[in-house]
Amino acid sequence: MKNQLALYIHFPFCKRKCNYCSFVSYAHREADIPAYVNALNLELAQRATSQRVGSIFCGGGTPSLLSPKQIKDILATIHSRFTVDNAAEATLEANPGTIDESYLRAIRKLGINRLSLGIQSLNDDELRWLGRLHTATEAKEAVYQARQAGFSNLNLDLIYGLPGQTLSSWQHTLSEALRLSPEHLSLYALSLEDDVPMGQAIKQGRMPPLNPDRSADQYELAEDQLEASGYRHYEISNWAREGYQCQHNLTYWHNQPYLGVGVAAHSYIKNHRLANTTDLDRYLAASGNPSQVKDNDEEIKQELQLTETVILGLRLSQGVSIDDIQGRFGIDLGERYRQPIDELVSLGLIEWAGRHLRLTRYGQRLGNEAFWRFLPD
Amino acid sequence: MNQSTIRNFCIIAHIDHGKSTLADRLIELTGAMRREEISEQVLDSMELERERGITIKAKAIRLSYPTSDGKLYQLNLIDTPGHVDFSYEVSRSIAACEGALLVIDATQGIQAQTLANVYLAMEHNLEIIPVVNKIDLPGAETEHVLREIKSVLGYSPASVLLISAKTGQGVPQVLEAIVNRIPPPRGEVSLPLRALIFDSHYDSYKGVIAYLRLVDGHIAKGNQLRLMGQGTKIEVLEVGYFDPEPHPLDQLSAGDVGYIATGLKYVRDCHVGDTVTSAEGGTSQPLLGYRPAKPMVFAGIYPTLTDDYPELREAIDKLSLNDASLSYEAESSPLLGHGFRGGFLGLLHLDIVRQRLEREFGLSVVVTAPGVSFRVTRTDGQKLTITNPAELPPPTEIARLDEPWVTISVITPSRFIGPLMKLIMDGSGIYKVTEYLGQSESAGELGQRVRLEYDIPLRSILTTFYDQLKSRSRGYASMDYEFIGYREAKLVKVDILINGVVVDAFSRIVPPGQARDIGNAVVHQLKKTIPRQLFKVPIQAAVGNHIVARADIPAKRKDVLAKCYGGDITRKRKLLEKQKEGKKKMKHIGNVEVPKEAFMDVLKLNL
Repeated sequence: MKNQLALYIHFPFCKRKCNYCSFVSYAHREADIPAYVNALNLELAQRATSQRVGSIFCGGGTPSLLSPKQIKDILATIHSRFTVDNAAEATLEANPGTIDESYLRAIRKLGINRLSLGIQSLNDDELRWLGRLHTATEAKEAVYQARQAGFSNLNLDLIYGLPGQTLSSWQHTLSEALRLSPEHLSLYALSLEDDVPMGQAIKQGRMPPLNPDRSADQYELAEDQLEASGYRHYEISNWAREGYQCQHNLTYWHNQPYLGVGVAAHSYIKNHRLANTTDLDRYLAASGNPSQVKDNDEEIKQELQLTETVILGLRLSQGVSIDDIQGRFGIDLGERYRQPIDELVSLGLIEWAGRHLRLTRYGQRLGNEAFWRFLPD
Repeated sequence: MNQSTIRNFCIIAHIDHGKSTLADRLIELTGAMRREEISEQVLDSMELERERGITIKAKAIRLSYPTSDGKLYQLNLIDTPGHVDFSYEVSRSIAACEGALLVIDATQGIQAQTLANVYLAMEHNLEIIPVVNKIDLPGAETEHVLREIKSVLGYSPASVLLISAKTGQGVPQVLEAIVNRIPPPRGEVSLPLRALIFDSHYDSYKGVIAYLRLVDGHIAKGNQLRLMGQGTKIEVLEVGYFDPEPHPLDQLSAGDVGYIATGLKYVRDCHVGDTVTSAEGGTSQPLLGYRPAKPMVFAGIYPTLTDDYPELREAIDKLSLNDASLSYEAESSPLLGHGFRGGFLGLLHLDIVRQRLEREFGLSVVVTAPGVSFRVTRTDGQKLTITNPAELPPPTEIARLDEPWVTISVITPSRFIGPLMKLIMDGSGIYKVTEYLGQSESAGELGQRVRLEYDIPLRSILTTFYDQLKSRSRGYASMDYEFIGYREAKLVKVDILINGVVVDAFSRIVPPGQARDIGNAVVHQLKKTIPRQLFKVPIQAAVGNHIVARADIPAKRKDVLAKCYGGDITRKRKLLEKQKEGKKKMKHIGNVEVPKEAFMDVLKLNL
């Protein structure tokens, strides 16, 4: 693990809100994008540190609504204020409905070296329910264009566990996605807040309820097929070909520091978890002033650091290393958590693999059942 | 005071027929209080009573009334509880009077409880003054009600007063009738003291205050007295009357109604119905047969949070200071922790206790399904009484089981006889009497008013019976019941098992024919509310070793792992903390985690 900073930039704009999404993003505010880029640049300048940046991740919202010029501005600010590692991974999340080949070529040239495409499904009916801007054909087209534009590190986001989604329709999405041969796949089980349109539709009986048993079947199907297609299941929701694990996200799971800028961005700096405001107008008015942008600041004490390190580490299939915990905290993992570990081993949720403690395959579906037991009283 | 100018009376009325309003008008007219001082219905002093429109504890008020001929009369109004649960207390209040105002709502006519109380008053030879109230209302059927009073009770229309307690119309005539028609007390001041306790309450400064009706003799401050039934010795710390403020006096004499401060700590040491006499040279003849309050309905009361047990214990102790009818003993359940098994006069009494615990003491409590006390004769001849279904021995050890029965009297328009009879028969009721009370005018299409009398197990009328009675009669039917004794019962105990472990709080004693339906209802309710566990959980209902219903909760296969976006670790941790909190609140039955709500929902089932 290199002691480098991960840099996250949140971009809270979308052409429209998807029916399942409760992330912080604003629709119909595209006119504010230039001001937002300006504010981002100001915040970046004020929050710069001397720590070397090992990864950059532009997430959203829909960062692909940014013009190449705006991306260039932001990257220029980053490079002028931070030291960025030469091998730094630079990811941009893109909505297939917002991009074309020339756009992709332009951003590739600017230094974006990893593209994360929000495909979600390769079934047009499902895409419609989800409220996506694109069809399955357009999604596949986007992958093709990304390859043409020179992206050799491509992630596809897929969602399973959709209301009424059958095992075979998920099989279809998976097979089609595998034919696109991405380097990386993130599979998320749909979870809905009550206030999003799909949540409402289920509440009012217009859509069938989520079915956790079917999600479990779909998850197992994906595990088998991705493994067989040469992807390594390296984190609960993530699969990658050898050498293509997402460096940025690994920072979170290794419980290492990261700096998040923009609306609703989170940071973990010097053992403080910080959250920026979710209010776009407040953010714009703050001109990047960190104290005005900040909404929450929680110091993470030693015991909680340990807990978080264990819980986050268990998400990785390699698990948590005894030696890592010993090195960071001077604590014997097995001793410190003897009781929950014994309990979880007997429940079949975790296991020892050499000097690592990890979730079993069964435990990966029931992570929460394992995680909460490591929380301090 | 000369007994010839004393009149002791009570008011008999059905709920909402206007007893408290009439009492307020009488107080106002006699000048005991000005209208604006009467905080709506003086006699109903507890907040709860006011809200529910019923009177729970009797009180007495002294009114001074100058008649037109210039004589000053002392009228003692003794309030009576209106509900069937408190019939023993009603009977003691009635016994303290020479007369009663019988208040009947002009829009509704005679109701079952009213009738029961009138019969009680007649048994005690009270002079009854029938009063038809609410004659000013558009729906008043005064003529019809007069005919009903004539046919059911035998009072001629000429002897009935027509009033509106709300407007005051006819109320002065009520006062005149009290003086002219109710006889004065006829005790002897010179005889040894005999006084009837008709109510009591606990006062934190003076101890138990006993409300008395003196029949013979007199009481002064400092007297040494004896309660004949219980043998309790007391010293009179204070003597006086209420108007409704307490007014200490030098003494009370034969014929008077008033109070004494006893210094006793528990109302149960000073029981309603007991006779008070002098410690030295007192009488040997008590006024009435005295019996302690007899609980008829039993239920477990537990704190929702196990840690609140000490608070619950203190609250119940305090409540019982003022409620002699409440009996309780400590009980514990593996599921609900430490609590109490309470004995109550009836369902209303249980509900009042629950509400007082919640309102006056800020406690959240779990009340288990109410039940009766069973008498069990074991095959080895040993006899026992059980109030908790979990204590019922296995069927093979029971030689005989007896349960309490009541006679219920239901008054309803004839239109609803069919559905009501079905309700009563479904509860194993045995038909006794049908009595026609006469035709109602506006309710013409509903037919004549009819009184039905059945014997029925008390068990059958405990849970949903009253609600059913009301809903099947569109609210028209009223009911009253009276305990008649124990009869042999053919019943079985249904146990509920979660993953093979019996949950004692859910056990019920039911007729064999209902075991399957009740078992099914409970099992399926639990299936709905118990979250999926890491293993399959069978939920079963059993009679002995025989499973009568079953549902399985399949093993949980996957949790919700929301996408960790933008590094918001805190949110994920908070969700896990919530999950952990939730787990802590769950009860463990064997190795199954069961949320409190699952129990509550089963206890709320209408079975």
